[in-house]
Amino acid sequence: MTELFVVITVIAVALIFDFTNGFHDSANAMAGPVATGALKPRTAVILGAFLNLVGACLSTEVAKTISGGFFDDSLITVPMILAGLLGAIIWNLMTWLFGLPSSSSHALFGGLIGAVIVGAGIASVHGWVIVSKVLLPAIVAPLVAGIAAVWATKLAYRITRKTPSVHSNTGFKYGQAFTSSMVALAHGTSDGQKTMGVITLVLIAAGFQASGTGPQLWVIIAAGVAIGLGTYSGGWRIMRTMGKGIVEIETPQGAASGAATSATILASAHLGFGLSTTHVSTGSILGSGVGRGAEVRWSVARRMAYAWLLTLPGAALVGGLAALLADHGVAGVIVLIVLLAATCTVIYVVSRRHRITHVNVTDSHEVLVFAAATPPTTYPNDPRLDPPPKPKKAKKHKAKSAA
Amino acid sequence: MHIDWAALGSVAVVSIVSSVIFTILLATGIRLVSVAKIKSNEGGSGTAVMSLAYLMLGIAGLLVLFGIYLIVPRFH
Repeated sequence: MTELFVVITVIAVALIFDFTNGFHDSANAMAGPVATGALKPRTAVILGAFLNLVGACLSTEVAKTISGGFFDDSLITVPMILAGLLGAIIWNLMTWLFGLPSSSSHALFGGLIGAVIVGAGIASVHGWVIVSKVLLPAIVAPLVAGIAAVWATKLAYRITRKTPSVHSNTGFKYGQAFTSSMVALAHGTSDGQKTMGVITLVLIAAGFQASGTGPQLWVIIAAGVAIGLGTYSGGWRIMRTMGKGIVEIETPQGAASGAATSATILASAHLGFGLSTTHVSTGSILGSGVGRGAEVRWSVARRMAYAWLLTLPGAALVGGLAALLADHGVAGVIVLIVLLAATCTVIYVVSRRHRITHVNVTDSHEVLVFAAATPPTTYPNDPRLDPPPKPKKAKKHKAKSAA
Repeated sequence: MHIDWAALGSVAVVSIVSSVIFTILLATGIRLVSVAKIKSNEGGSGTAVMSLAYLMLGIAGLLVLFGIYLIVPRFH
């Protein structure tokens, strides 16, 4: 009974993580087309959500391990998975609040690493794997995607220099819609797997499923729906940073950065050097800005770089603290869930102070959290965010009586 | 410490080369479509240029299809 409760809780929390993964990464594919107007914000997230769902259902081979080589798989227990997921969710929400794109995989690994350190000691974590799988790729991804985007952008502008922008913009917008769709589909196949892997591992560990079997159909569908819903909800704060905050994106530039993003993601997935989708898309947008000779807001880029470096240790810290509680049976699990709910509520309430939705995502380049340092660019009482209730139709008989 | 430098190098080269090729095809296609449209508006025949444009965009489209082939695990 106790075990069933814990298993159900972990599955629910895994799906919540999947949801945060979706809205955190929605911008990777869709920030560009939303910023250039190639896709309307709503259309973009619906398309992204659908492709993520399809992608998740397409991924047949679920990662056999969730440790990623950072530690010995046999060390993992179900409470540790719970703690790791909590660390990842809270880190994802915090970075979303500040509008910072950061890797959801790094958050998940970080959370698990923190939990493993608390459970099995720091010696059980392979430090060099962190260097080769986290630090190095975090430098390589923006560099490679950035260089690709610089050249692609330069060429796109050079080739269409004499083309009237009425003609070129339409074409580049189509190109952008295709490349961003590919990014969304690829994201579904790679990131949908993560949650399926976690849930399947938990089911196997609890004896509900035979060892060595793949994910069950309901797990695949649930994970796909969770990541799709997350993508649909948009993560508009991150969308604003990526689409507006780093650099203003023009249409040819958006198409070039989209091409660089999808090419780099596909190459990294199939040539054996894994790169984070988030780092790649950010690098492409930066590179495309440099390639166009636009004014890149390096202060935003620097803040993002800090967030990337802090993601693993930050999530590890939360995961580690959660692991201290997770080991205390049902009571510990209940306390953890209450704490998670409280944290989510606080972050949500703070985010409401400067709301960003599909209506105002492209209005400004700033994601405000606390006090407005510069004059407010998102007005708390923006009428578009809370449209006044439509006036009720005057009833017919009243009109008659008035006449 | 093991770092797969060969994989890193090939990812870098393939990413840069393929994004540049895709962008060249797309941009050239767009430019040629525009040239053809302007030609036919001016009373000339833009058919030859237009078919060249569609060839470029067609190859770009094939690249997209190849990308989808790579993404969907069931295809390979």
